[in-house]
Amino acid sequence: MDFDFTDDQESLRDAVRRWVDKAFPFERRHGIAKAGGATRAVYGELAELGLAGLAIPEANGGLGFGPVEAMVVCEELGRGLVNAPYVHGALVAPALLAAAPEAVQAAWLPRMAAAEALVVLAHQERGARYFLHHVATEAEARGDGYVLSGAKSIVPAGDEADAFIVPARLQLDDSHHPTALFLVERGAPGLAVRGYPTQDGARAAELTLQATPATLITVDGAGLLERAVDVGIAGVCAEAVGVMDRLVAMTVEYMNTRKQFGVPIASFQALRHRIADVKMQLELARSMSYYASLKLGEPPEKRRHALAQAKVQLGQSMRFVGQQCVQLHGGIGVTDEYAGSHYFKRLTVIEMTFGDTLHHLGEVSRHLHDTAGVFA
Amino acid sequence: MDLQFTPEEQAFRAEIRQWVAENLPRDISHKVHNALRLTRDDLQRWAKILGKKGWLGWGWPKQFGGPGWNAVQKHLFEEECALAGAPRVPPFGPIMVAPVIMAFGSPEQQKRFLPGIASGEVWWSQGYSEPGSGSDLASLKCRAERRGDKYIVNGQKTWTTLGQYGEWIFCLVRTGTEGKPQTGISFLLIDMKSPGVAVKPIRLLDGEPEVNEVFFDNVEVPAENLVGEENKGWTYAKYLLAHERTNIADVNRAKRELERLKRIAKAEGVYEDARFRDQIALLEVDIVALEMMVLRVLSAEKSGKQSLDIAGLLKIRGSEIQQRYTELMMLAAGPFAVPFVSEAMEAGWQGDYVGAAHCAPLASTYFNYRKTTIYGGSNEVQRNIVAQTVLGS
Repeated sequence: MDFDFTDDQESLRDAVRRWVDKAFPFERRHGIAKAGGATRAVYGELAELGLAGLAIPEANGGLGFGPVEAMVVCEELGRGLVNAPYVHGALVAPALLAAAPEAVQAAWLPRMAAAEALVVLAHQERGARYFLHHVATEAEARGDGYVLSGAKSIVPAGDEADAFIVPARLQLDDSHHPTALFLVERGAPGLAVRGYPTQDGARAAELTLQATPATLITVDGAGLLERAVDVGIAGVCAEAVGVMDRLVAMTVEYMNTRKQFGVPIASFQALRHRIADVKMQLELARSMSYYASLKLGEPPEKRRHALAQAKVQLGQSMRFVGQQCVQLHGGIGVTDEYAGSHYFKRLTVIEMTFGDTLHHLGEVSRHLHDTAGVFA
Repeated sequence: MDLQFTPEEQAFRAEIRQWVAENLPRDISHKVHNALRLTRDDLQRWAKILGKKGWLGWGWPKQFGGPGWNAVQKHLFEEECALAGAPRVPPFGPIMVAPVIMAFGSPEQQKRFLPGIASGEVWWSQGYSEPGSGSDLASLKCRAERRGDKYIVNGQKTWTTLGQYGEWIFCLVRTGTEGKPQTGISFLLIDMKSPGVAVKPIRLLDGEPEVNEVFFDNVEVPAENLVGEENKGWTYAKYLLAHERTNIADVNRAKRELERLKRIAKAEGVYEDARFRDQIALLEVDIVALEMMVLRVLSAEKSGKQSLDIAGLLKIRGSEIQQRYTELMMLAAGPFAVPFVSEAMEAGWQGDYVGAAHCAPLASTYFNYRKTTIYGGSNEVQRNIVAQTVLGS
C-alpha cells in the first residue's frame, strides 16, 4: 500500500505541467471555445509530447504506460483546463482496439500514437441514457464485411475524428445478438456527421449510419466496451481532480484578496467553513480518483463496482466544488470572462460523461455486497 | 502507487487476525456486534488480554514496552480488532496520556505510570472540558496552586467519559493568569482516590451515564505529578490532539457497522427498496472514500515522502459517517425503533422484545452518536482548523 509517485511519474507530471504553463494559458482555451471548440490542433501538440501514445504499446509506436501515468497526465490537463479529446483519443480508443485483429491494430495504433489519426468511441444513443447494453444500431454481414445502420449521439470531437468505434447489435441468429464493436472511418459511404459545440468549449457530433461499411473489431464486445468505459471513467476522474485542484486554488486566492467591509472575505466564518467543506470534497475526490485508476486491473465485476463508486464520489464532489467555488467568487464567478466559470462548466460536463452520479449510484446499489471497503 | 498491502503486511494482518480470533472473548464480541451494553468488566477484560500480549499500547515504541509498529501495522491491528467485534479500547490511558508521558514526562513518571497503562490495570480518565470551557478550552479555570511540594486543586471538569471507573485522571489546570490564556495551563496527573475528588454521573439523552462531572475541592496533588514544565500544558495537550488522527476516523468500525446495517435492512425488508438501498450505497461510497483518505495518510506517514494537509479532515468525515450509519439503522427498523426498553440492551435478556431483538438498541445508539460531531473538538472547530490550513490565514 503506497500512494507515492515514482520519480519518473513526477517527471511526466512536470513535463505536462510545463507545457500547460507555456502553451495553454486560459486565453487560448477561451479563444478556442469562442471559435467553436475545435481542438484537433491542441491534440496534435499533446502528441508531440508523446502523450497521444501514452497507453499504446511500444510495438505500435506508443509509450506503453499504465493507469497511474494516465492519471498523472489527466490531472495536469485538468489543471490547465486543456480542451482536447485526450481521454477519448489516447485512453479509451486504444483500450477498445486492444481486442482488434492484428492488422487493424497495426493500421491504426501507430497513427493514433502520433495523433495523425484521432479515433473516438461513438456509443451513446437516444433513449439509452448511460446504459452500455442498450444498443439499437444494427450490424449486418454483407459480402466479406459488415454494414451498420443507426444513429449515435454526443460523439466527442465527432467532426474532428478520423474514425469511430461503434457498438452495434449483430444478428447472428434468433437467440444470439451480441454487442459487436466496429471501426467506421470518416467519409465512409452512408455516414453523416453533424458537429456542434459543447458547453465546455469543445465539440461533439451526431452520427447517422445508413448501411455504412465497417471493420469488425470484435463480435462479443460488451465486456470490452465496459472495460474501455471504465478506463474513460478513471481518466475523467483524474482530470476532474486537476480541474478542482486549480479551481479551489483560484478561489482561495480570491478569498484572500477580495475585500468587503474593509477586510478580506477570507475572514468571514461562513465562507471559511464553506471552503473547508470544498477542501473535504476535493480530497475525497482525489482519494477516489486514485482508487479508480488502481482498480482498473481487477476482475470485471470488482472493477466495475469500484469505478462506479469512484464516479459517484467524483460526481458529488464536482457538483459541490463547482457550485461553491462559483458562489465564493460572487458576481465575477458567473461571468464568461473569468476562468473559474469555465472550470465549473467542465466539471458539469464531466459528470455527464460515462454515466452521471445517479446512474452509477444505481450500479453500486444493484451490486451491493455484504462486505464493504477498499479491499472488499 | 499500489493499493495492495505488501506480503509482509498481509502476513502481519493474518497473524493479528488469528490471535484476535483465539483471544477475543465471544461474549464480548457478541455484545459489540449487536450494540448491547458493555460493562466495565467487559472493557477491562479485553484491555488486560491485550496488555498481557503487550498490545494494549499498540502504538507505543519498543523502548516503552510497545510493539514498535509503523503506521500501517497499527492500522491493520485496529482494523482486525474492529472487524472481529472487539470493543473500542478506552483511549484515555494508552492513546492519550501515555504518549504525553513518553514525550514530556520524567523518567520517574514513565517508570511509575506506563506499566499500569500498558497492562490495563489502571483506568485513566480525561479532565479537559469545563462547564465554561468547551470549544474555547484555553479559557479553563480549574486552579492548581503550588504550596511547597504540593498543588492544591480547586474547580470542576466535565464530560469525563467513563470517569465513574477512573482511578487516575490527567487534567489541564490553570497555574498562571498572566499573558494569553494558553500560557498559564499545566498538565497534572491526579489520583482520583485523593480526598476532595467527587465524581457525579451525567445521564445522556439515551439514558446512559456515560460521562461525568468531576469536582476538585482542595485536592492535594504531589508536585511530582506535574508533567513537563509548569505553564506548558497547552503545548502537551496539542501534541496529544495531533497524535492519533487516523484512529479517530474509525473507518474500520464503520465497515463493520455497514455490514450490520445491511443485515438489519434485509431482516426489516427495506434492502430491496431502491430508495432505501440507494442510501446504503451512498454510505458505502462514503466509507470507501474515507478509507482511501486514511490509507493516503498512512502511506505518507510510512514513506515520509509527501506532506499531506488532510489529516484534519478525517475526524469530520469519520464522525459524520458514524452518525449516518446509526441513523440509517434506526430508519431501517422503522416504527420498531420507537420502543425504549432499556433491559433489551442487555445481553441474554429473556423478556419479550418488541419486534426483532436487533431493533432494541438502534434509536439509543442514534441518539448517543450525536456526540461524535461534538467531542474531540466540535466539527465546526475542526472546520476552522481546516480553513486555516487551506487559506493560510
